[in-house]
Amino acid sequence: MRTFFITVLISICTVSLLQAQMERVRANPDGPVEETFLTKNIAGLGTVQLLGKGDLNSMIQHNFGDVRGGIDTFFGVDEGANVRIAFGYGLTDNLNIGIGRTSREDNIDFSIDYRILHQTKLDRVPVSVVLKGNMGIRTQKESFGLTVQERLNYLGSVMIARKFSDNFSFQVSPMVSHFNTVVQREADSELYNTVYGLGFAGRFKINERKSISFEYLPVIGDKISDTKNHAALVYELETGGHVFQMFFMSGRWFTEQHLLTRTETNFFEPNFRFGFNVNRIFGLL
Amino acid sequence: MKKLFLSAFLVLFTAGLSFGQSFKTEEGKATFYSKVPLHNFEGNSESLVGLINLDEKTIDFYIDLETLDTGNGKRDKDMKLTLETKKYPFAEFFGKLVTDFDPESSSVQDVIVKGTFKIHGEEKEIEVEGTLQMKDTGLHVTAGWILSLLDYKIEPPKILFIKVDENQEIKIDALLKPVDG
Repeated sequence: MRTFFITVLISICTVSLLQAQMERVRANPDGPVEETFLTKNIAGLGTVQLLGKGDLNSMIQHNFGDVRGGIDTFFGVDEGANVRIAFGYGLTDNLNIGIGRTSREDNIDFSIDYRILHQTKLDRVPVSVVLKGNMGIRTQKESFGLTVQERLNYLGSVMIARKFSDNFSFQVSPMVSHFNTVVQREADSELYNTVYGLGFAGRFKINERKSISFEYLPVIGDKISDTKNHAALVYELETGGHVFQMFFMSGRWFTEQHLLTRTETNFFEPNFRFGFNVNRIFGLL
Repeated sequence: MKKLFLSAFLVLFTAGLSFGQSFKTEEGKATFYSKVPLHNFEGNSESLVGLINLDEKTIDFYIDLETLDTGNGKRDKDMKLTLETKKYPFAEFFGKLVTDFDPESSSVQDVIVKGTFKIHGEEKEIEVEGTLQMKDTGLHVTAGWILSLLDYKIEPPKILFIKVDENQEIKIDALLKPVDG
């Protein structure tokens, strides 16, 4: 009789279970990790964060003179800004193109980013990997004595990043830069057309809207005379469709090939400049 | 031994009865239609999951909100942030058929279901009009209703500084197969 009652109980439970709601199961628990970084750039260093298909990012980047000018130069602000205006567009979720213009040397650059790996939530793919190419050309009048070929500069980078937790992401990006022409300022300057670097970047998320990020770009191997390794410390703020980035950076440029070869101040001396980026993303589709 | 056989029979019989009129999604699609001034867009998900028990007249549907795709990465991100999908990953409905449905007929039949819709951590009793049709391929379901974002404490997202309409039109379309007994 006891067996019978137990069986009836099980039967009732079975029916009840079938009447109850289904267990809610995530559709794609090992889907791609999102928002490893807030934007495509930190201060000047590129990140694995690509624009989604149909997204247009307009970006204005500025920095000023170094802060050691003190109050006389209002900590570098009076020394004038280097400004890069850039637009990026997501052709697909994995392929972005972009164009930018930097006020220094009127350098116009074209970029392409292609994601070959996307980190997944359950670590089936543990890292995101994006290949980046950038080609720039000096267009200021003073460079017209050079051929177009001589005015070109290039960057190739492999960005490898992992979002370790909701609050911390880290990226390593080996890169190579090449300038078809390098200018010798002093007789004993060591000059190299090709310079290698290893970029490091990290993001500490404070909350959904704010984070602290950094970038560090040491030159590996041959280094041009009197240049220093670039570094930046960045406060990022997302407000609806805008991402504001306020930072102290040692480099004067926003393109990595120039940060590798033109940075003349040492962040850790300390000597750096104030700057800020404004990103606005529009959905065009 | 006799009791054991009787018990086993009872279990199988009960289970068989319960499964006999149950249908589960083979494929299901949910769509929402959103309006902003000068522009309309829609979001789709092919990951609608549903279970209908005709004996008990219960209807159970849910969707993983992170599968919604509006065709635009920025908009998708805004939408997920607004719906707080990390915290509330599902939109779900559980209710009962309040009108009759004849499973022997192959014609499209209008039905009404009443139940609880839950999204963004908020629940609300709703009544939904839809259709059921018994086909050779399974039980075909369509339904649609207007979802008021404010009812579920969802703050309409701003897209290009323009507010999305508070009322969103929701439609579902699913084919459910008999659950094997």
